[in-house]
Amino acid sequence: MPIPAHHIVATPPPFDAPPYPADIFADQTVLVTGGGSGMGLAMAKAFAQGGADVAVLGRNLDRARGGAEQIAALGTRAHAISCDVRNPDAVAAAFDEAEEVLGPIGLLANNAGANFPILAEDISRNAWNAVTRIAIDGTFLCSSEFARRRIARGEGGAIVNNSAQYIWTGFPGDAHSAAAKTAQATMTKRLAADWAPYGIRVNAIAAGFFPHADSVSGRREDGVEPLQAMIPAGRTGSIWEFGWLSAMTCTPFFGEMTGQVIVQDGGESLRRSLIMPNFIPPRERADGPWGWQ
Amino acid sequence: MSGWLAGKRARIEGEGAAVTTAIEAAGAVLVADGEGDCDIWVHIAPHSEIKRAHEIGHSEWRASLDAGLDRRFLGAQKFAAECRARGQGGAVLFVGAPEQALGADHAAAAGALGNLTKTLGVEWARDGIRVNSILTRTSEETLGHLAAYLVSDYAAYVTGAVMGIDLDD
Repeated sequence: MPIPAHHIVATPPPFDAPPYPADIFADQTVLVTGGGSGMGLAMAKAFAQGGADVAVLGRNLDRARGGAEQIAALGTRAHAISCDVRNPDAVAAAFDEAEEVLGPIGLLANNAGANFPILAEDISRNAWNAVTRIAIDGTFLCSSEFARRRIARGEGGAIVNNSAQYIWTGFPGDAHSAAAKTAQATMTKRLAADWAPYGIRVNAIAAGFFPHADSVSGRREDGVEPLQAMIPAGRTGSIWEFGWLSAMTCTPFFGEMTGQVIVQDGGESLRRSLIMPNFIPPRERADGPWGWQ
Repeated sequence: MSGWLAGKRARIEGEGAAVTTAIEAAGAVLVADGEGDCDIWVHIAPHSEIKRAHEIGHSEWRASLDAGLDRRFLGAQKFAAECRARGQGGAVLFVGAPEQALGADHAAAAGALGNLTKTLGVEWARDGIRVNSILTRTSEETLGHLAAYLVSDYAAYVTGAVMGIDLDD
């Protein structure tokens, strides 16, 4: 269903008009986990638009390198590193390599994650461990590695976490990610409290639908247009506006902000009617656990 | 941030130097009530006095709820009607203290305001009118910058959101 012509849809400025000057992150380096594609790449590009050099971490080195090439095309230095963020030694080694090549890491974007439609009873131990530990342990391990280094240098820093719109409502058909993304948001507040004395700020974006080539919605055969109409804002998110808000929380503009979880979802997570469609359990949905393919 | 609100007209109700300064610095023209159309309406509520609940008289209670809730709803309603009449979208921003920062009067008003924000954000979404709240104890630069960002097109996908700034918010 297309959006009726008389509805008004608010839209962001184009990608080449970022909300901050090109030198806002000059002489700083950001480390972005899962930065080779999708939302992580959008974060990385947003930091690069502000002049940051970017360390791109990914489990798949080729994908990380592909992302790094796109970031470098924006005029900053980018370095791709293969890393499994569930492994503390690998995280420490990745920080070592990134700092050797690009200099001290003063900004961190925790984006690495996995997500796919699946019934709770079908989630294998491996799948549960993978989705929850990449987001939960990965965010903790990268953040604490970052903080120890900043504290040792006597310098502050900023962290932004990629959380999700469904963290307060649950997400039937996605139990592993529902648990993982809420853990990221709640640890955001505690990490912010623990590291406030050191000048390290920690915030999160609870992101709605930002389709991209590697997301489940981005792979739909009939495209994302049918998703537009179900969202109060009348559209899915443009991936660069997610990148910008993420990077904004790390700028001096928002220099006093910490411990916040900002919802950016076009109203998607909010109740839109007292009368709802009949409830169909995820197991019985014709189009799979999320109700669409 | 000089271009965030270029070409926009904003009406600000209430006292808040950081917010007013930042919205002007972001390029918006400030419009007084009754002086014409605007794209942005910001309401900054004064902080009510902190008293224990049993020491709050009904007239004080009413005054807090009027400033913290009723006035905000009625103002947003009027602004949204103006937007619809012009066929234009708009941005509403409520600024005030966190729910538990002051007395029971404020706790009631701020909680009500939070869910009002979520409600109006959805109810007016297809009018292109976004509604957000900042509930914070701080009144410094970040408040102004965040306010200016939220009412700008950069936050086009942020609506029905309630956020703070500091750890205690």
